[in-house]
Amino acid sequence: METNYLTDGPVSQKIITHLIEKMGGKTDSGGHMIFLGQVRADVIDGLKVKAIEYSAYIELVNVEAEKIKKTIFSEFADVKSIEIVHSTGIVNAGEISLLVFVSAGHRHQAMQACSKTVELIKVNLPVWKKEIFEDDSHKWK
Amino acid sequence: MQVKVLFFGVLAEVSGTGIKYYHDVRSISDLKFRILDDFPEIVHYNFRISLNSELTNDDIELKSEDVIALMPPFAGG
Repeated sequence: METNYLTDGPVSQKIITHLIEKMGGKTDSGGHMIFLGQVRADVIDGLKVKAIEYSAYIELVNVEAEKIKKTIFSEFADVKSIEIVHSTGIVNAGEISLLVFVSAGHRHQAMQACSKTVELIKVNLPVWKKEIFEDDSHKWK
Repeated sequence: MQVKVLFFGVLAEVSGTGIKYYHDVRSISDLKFRILDDFPEIVHYNFRISLNSELTNDDIELKSEDVIALMPPFAGG
């Protein structure tokens, strides 16, 4: 399911390179900060995570992602653009499940704004995750 | 009069469904009683409620076509 902010499965290299190319055209930006969140093969009670299954309330993701962007733009006057892509569905360990791409006139705000965006996503985005273990059992996070 | 209830995260598993329709429900508190009646296990879980994509803690009167979502703590990012 592709929306402004969600992608089905892992965030693909295609999406990442597309965004890098897209940002290249914005010559008022001097710095881009890209955060890629990856599924980690955590070991919980002796079992290794092989994948995470993400689910989301799509309509509310759109509302909340817009609010996050608005917050960041108002706090960081030098930020020119913010891109957020979060996975839904299954993402295997080692694959990317979140992309945050912030462009700013200068590096300081690019880095700070990107960091803050990630933190706001973790608190406010209506996304849920189910850890799937190597024995196919699962646990809600 | 029909409202749509969406169950997210672990609640989708507890209820065995992502979506359920309820008829002739007066308010959010009324709806909660009906949901707990259908799925008593839900009482063990923390969740927030949104009405038509807006989070709310209030007991609002419901009207037909309203969409209510039951959302456990978010775990994105």
